[in-house]
Amino acid sequence: MTADDLLIADLTSDLARASLALARRFFAGGTMWCVSPDWPFHSHHVAVEFVHPVIMGKRALPAVAVPADEDLVAMLRTTARTGDIVVAVAPAGDEAVAAAMRRGDAWGVETVWIGAGPRPPAGAAKHVLWLPTDDPLQASEQFVRMYHLLWELTHVCFEHQGLLKSDDCLDDVCITCSDEGRPAEVLAVEGDEALVRTAEGRERVDTSVIDTPHPGDLLLVHAGSAITNLDAA
Amino acid sequence: MSPEASDFLYPFIEREETDSVSLLADLATSAQGKWAQSTRLRVDTLTALGFQIRTAATAMAERFNAGGQLFAFGNGGSSTDALEFARVLTRPPWGTPVPARSLAVDQAVLTAIANDVGFEIVFSRQLIAYARPGDIAVGFSTSGNSDNLMAAFAEARKRGMLTIGLAGYDGGRMGASDDVAHCLTVRSDSVHRIQEAQAAVAHALWDALQTELRQEGAA
Repeated sequence: MTADDLLIADLTSDLARASLALARRFFAGGTMWCVSPDWPFHSHHVAVEFVHPVIMGKRALPAVAVPADEDLVAMLRTTARTGDIVVAVAPAGDEAVAAAMRRGDAWGVETVWIGAGPRPPAGAAKHVLWLPTDDPLQASEQFVRMYHLLWELTHVCFEHQGLLKSDDCLDDVCITCSDEGRPAEVLAVEGDEALVRTAEGRERVDTSVIDTPHPGDLLLVHAGSAITNLDAA
Repeated sequence: MSPEASDFLYPFIEREETDSVSLLADLATSAQGKWAQSTRLRVDTLTALGFQIRTAATAMAERFNAGGQLFAFGNGGSSTDALEFARVLTRPPWGTPVPARSLAVDQAVLTAIANDVGFEIVFSRQLIAYARPGDIAVGFSTSGNSDNLMAAFAEARKRGMLTIGLAGYDGGRMGASDDVAHCLTVRSDSVHRIQEAQAAVAHALWDALQTELRQEGAA
């Protein structure tokens, strides 16, 4: 195997895992939000691929291109529901995309980040599908290949419905299954309480053991209490 | 899971249903095959179309140098290819920016024309409004058969525009039409693989255009 073959082998096994995760979310009724602030043609291409498949007879899946000029976090915080998917095609330096991705666990959404060049930090998204190239045109061509394959493999997964119902974690470390506290995003603060968004929906949590948080902060909550502010200065 | 009467006919289903590891391995193998297929089609297409791409780029450079602008269009995924091509032309990673835009992005114009007349003239109607004889029309289609592209090419030809089409399969109606002066056809019968190779053709066209623009500039 050449170095290129090894990179492609890694990429395709990442694509396989992401596709199964997508199929499970779609199967359970999730919607896919497609974002690409710098390259709107990619978000629109991903969305139309899933909504209106090129192969007759394949089911139309709910995928939405988020307009490039939207405030990503503000829109997705309100519109994306638990069980949804956020797919981004964006460089690692895109701060709006990074901010949306790191809220994935608090919102209860599956996150997929497609890009090229320097990688985002580890854990920036649940699925990081990354190309080694720094050539912007080559990257753009290969992004199309990647989301075409994502679509094709997702539909292959639909032929294995027994595996779609399974909710076994595909990840080595799963924050939702662990006991260290659930991630939550602060929507509003009222005295020693905060209204937060978690994977379970909207909740009111006690904030008396942490410094007063701000809307947009990410907290860890445990048994009705905020125990850590991940965004504390 | 309750046993079904027909289970004995399909003993393998039960095993597959619980074994995501083997499914993931199959998916990865299938993706690797398709990735390699796409890479081969890209190379074969650029080799086969090399001369046509350079010829089309020369004609484009003449138009741009004379003050022409480019209109790109397509339907569905191809509309996003048109938008990407227009973006590369106007905001290139290097080289000379040239005026270009997609006719598939203004939802007010698209829905007005489609609602009042019909979707088959959404691009041709815009060319009537915007285009001048020295301009360039570039249409993207995987089938090569879209009605609204054929209408746009006919209108463009009538108005003295340079016409370039990116098609798939055997070129379809675009490949056979005199209205499409340069038809760049990706010989494949998979819509996805065609689109992937068309992205490479569009980039090669842009690259060849940059070479032409530099030579013109030096002359």
